[in-house]
Amino acid sequence: MKPQLTICLALAFSTVAWARNVDLSTVPKRNTVQLTIYNSEDLTLVRETRTVTFKKGANPLQFSWANTLIDPTSVELKFLTNAEKLDVLDTTFPHDKPQMLYWNVQSELDGEATIQITYFTSGITWKADYVAIADKDEQRMNLESFVRVFNNSGEEYEDAQVRLVVGTINLVEKIAQLARIPAKDVDKLGELVKGELRQRAFKDSVELAGRPGGMGGGGAYGAAARKAKEVIKEGLSEYFIYTIEGTETIPNQWSKRLRSFDAAAAPFKVQYRYRPREYGEQLVRMYLLTNDKESKLGTTPLPDGIVRVFRDNGRDGLSFLAAQSLKYIAIGDKIEVNLGVDPNVIFELIKLRAERDNIWLQVNGADVFRQVGGGVEIDVNSSVVGWDDHEVYTQRIRNYTPKAIEMEIRRTFAGHVVFRSELNPVLHDFQTVQFSRTVEPAKKADLLFEIVRHQGRNAKQNNVTLEKAEIRP
Amino acid sequence: MRTIECLRRIGFLAAVIAIAGGVDARIKLITLPPRERVEIQLDHPNATLVEEERIVPLVKGENQVDFSWANTQIDPETIVFRVIAPVGEKKIDVKVLSVSYPPNEAALVWSVGSSDSGSARVRISYILGNLSKSFNYRAVASRDEASLILSQYIRLQNFANEEFGNTSLWAGFGQEFHKPVGLNETKEMLMGKFEKVPIRKTYTASVQEFGYLDQPQNKLRIPMHYVLKNDKANNLGAAPLPYGKVRIFIEGGEKSKEASTFLGEDWGKFTPIDDEMKLYLGVAQDIVVKRTIDRNENQRVAGNLFNQTVVIKYEIENFKDQAVTLAIAESLRQIRNEALGRDTGRDVEWELGKETTFSGGPDKEKSTFDQLVFHVKLPARGADGKAEKSIQKLQVILKNEW
Repeated sequence: MKPQLTICLALAFSTVAWARNVDLSTVPKRNTVQLTIYNSEDLTLVRETRTVTFKKGANPLQFSWANTLIDPTSVELKFLTNAEKLDVLDTTFPHDKPQMLYWNVQSELDGEATIQITYFTSGITWKADYVAIADKDEQRMNLESFVRVFNNSGEEYEDAQVRLVVGTINLVEKIAQLARIPAKDVDKLGELVKGELRQRAFKDSVELAGRPGGMGGGGAYGAAARKAKEVIKEGLSEYFIYTIEGTETIPNQWSKRLRSFDAAAAPFKVQYRYRPREYGEQLVRMYLLTNDKESKLGTTPLPDGIVRVFRDNGRDGLSFLAAQSLKYIAIGDKIEVNLGVDPNVIFELIKLRAERDNIWLQVNGADVFRQVGGGVEIDVNSSVVGWDDHEVYTQRIRNYTPKAIEMEIRRTFAGHVVFRSELNPVLHDFQTVQFSRTVEPAKKADLLFEIVRHQGRNAKQNNVTLEKAEIRP
Repeated sequence: MRTIECLRRIGFLAAVIAIAGGVDARIKLITLPPRERVEIQLDHPNATLVEEERIVPLVKGENQVDFSWANTQIDPETIVFRVIAPVGEKKIDVKVLSVSYPPNEAALVWSVGSSDSGSARVRISYILGNLSKSFNYRAVASRDEASLILSQYIRLQNFANEEFGNTSLWAGFGQEFHKPVGLNETKEMLMGKFEKVPIRKTYTASVQEFGYLDQPQNKLRIPMHYVLKNDKANNLGAAPLPYGKVRIFIEGGEKSKEASTFLGEDWGKFTPIDDEMKLYLGVAQDIVVKRTIDRNENQRVAGNLFNQTVVIKYEIENFKDQAVTLAIAESLRQIRNEALGRDTGRDVEWELGKETTFSGGPDKEKSTFDQLVFHVKLPARGADGKAEKSIQKLQVILKNEW
């Protein structure tokens, strides 16, 4: 598709020049273009520069964006050179020509000036994704991070410097919505809406776009043709900016994927976890590493994205293990990838016994309570109002893998519960018990524990307490 | 270029002219590197990974490599391109610079940088849909039903709209196969044959699991199973047995010339190592078990708290010509619900009563806190055709109910 976004300098120098049916105009080319793309919103700030020759007096400039997704409220013109000799007298959105505006520029200059036009567009997005390939011993992995830029904006930005913003910004209206509002209806937009939109998003965007890196042009190829482009990362405020080295041309409706970083031989740990609230009622195998320097990472937060995990199968090939969405991972935070159930590790919870004691009855209609077995005769006309349930379990783990496995088990118990065991458990929260165990290869482990549930009037709390006790099978 | 691609479902084109501009400076001259090697990895339970190797000619500088997959279900997000090694003695440094995705096409374009002209061996991996596997088994029992020969097959169904030449196939365990896989082809391969796998032939009475054959007469349904254990002692145990259909035959007569006879089929569940695979063959109507609740008594403890004594009587007859062992399984919760006429929702606290007659007591390995399993040896019917009636009783005291 040919570019739809043009700027014209009308050659008739009257303020009503653009109302004529017969027009003559020149079309100044873009010198540079910079795209600052947000992944949390469908928002891209475009900054482009063009060289325009002005004559003294009134110079009408026409800017049009047919079939693109530009927000008409966001278009701004700035003079980068000879600014003191140039003024925008007014901006007009003609009622009969949608997706177009005119700037009436008053010039004291008779010559060239560089102008900068900034605007928001939607339809240009980016996302991150990751490919992890673990070695066959599952001790180290190569983790590659990619960014993929999608251009569905209706416009082709040639040789654009591309900057990607990691982080969540606040917008009060979607740019795509604004882009569909005819220019003649711009004034009907609430001033508050326009104001907030500009103040918040535009301010942030311009600030980000103004960071070092500039709007350099130049080809990406040449001497660096054999080298993958570097993606430069830097933090700013609550955001992180990725600047892709050189410039890129992404034709309309195309997308392009570039490597963001590559961590070779990053050490990681394998852990088996049972956490029903997070992973469902199953024991899952996890790859665990940290976004830090020890893990050969830690140069940037990891933006939201899918991670696809493969493993060297030891037979000169790969095994596909899992694909999982990663949420934003800050520098220093953990990367946890759930690989699903391992058929070679069998995880069973077996209830061994159940019994009741500490049974209390209440005389019907009276505030009188008696404990069963307390040596006191209990009225026939009494009902059970409190008791303790004792449940003895074994958590059986069978490891048929060739390696020792590290287990971490979390179990949540509602109500007033005592967890009795010799498993050295800890409380993950007020009602969740966590315990760990390493199971050697080709071995079985029976982790015994007893649950005492205080029921009825015996329940005084809503929490779990831990008690060390030897539990018989 | 697209015309060429249309002739191929999964196409791979390499530009031999280094390109000076972006992705829209499209190919001027192309080569078609054939697949040097293909591996189909079937080790993931839900996804099939295809890996193919090609030798790509490259020129110094930037090269454009097209990959397209019209009418196939490649998941483009899973495509991994790896440079394995340069081909020949010339060492060249090859790197993927970027990947471009053209609109409305099942295709992508790798931009590959090369330090010099030469060829590189590359491997492309991707998840391919409609190329699936399943497992099935053929079991031939010995005439005395003491053992069987278990053959395990993997079945590959290729509806991926792509054919593969000599391809390596691996399921994550067992042997690796090298076979061509044609379009719309289903290929079944023998993964392993396990000889003399001991089996137990079981007859089980369980109201909760199998119900009644004739409820007005209290006659239980008695299914017959073959049970085999997936461990080394039973000539298995190399890997878990995947879920799959098991067709069961019994070998011919003593003359061995008789063909084997089909006994039935069942779904074999996923069976980890050391676990049992239980295959249902049908109802044994020659074993008659009548189950009645003989006694149901309430003993008050205090207030509305009571113990309940339940005695269940089993009248058992074996009309078969062979002696058999019958397993009787009882759910304690089922007993309580029958005795009280309601489910209290609480765990059953119970103890075994002295009136229980099963010799040897409950099977410690099979019994759990809420299920009791007993075994009863039943003699073959007599020469006069009459079966000896065995009467057994189970007494359970349900404690601390209200």
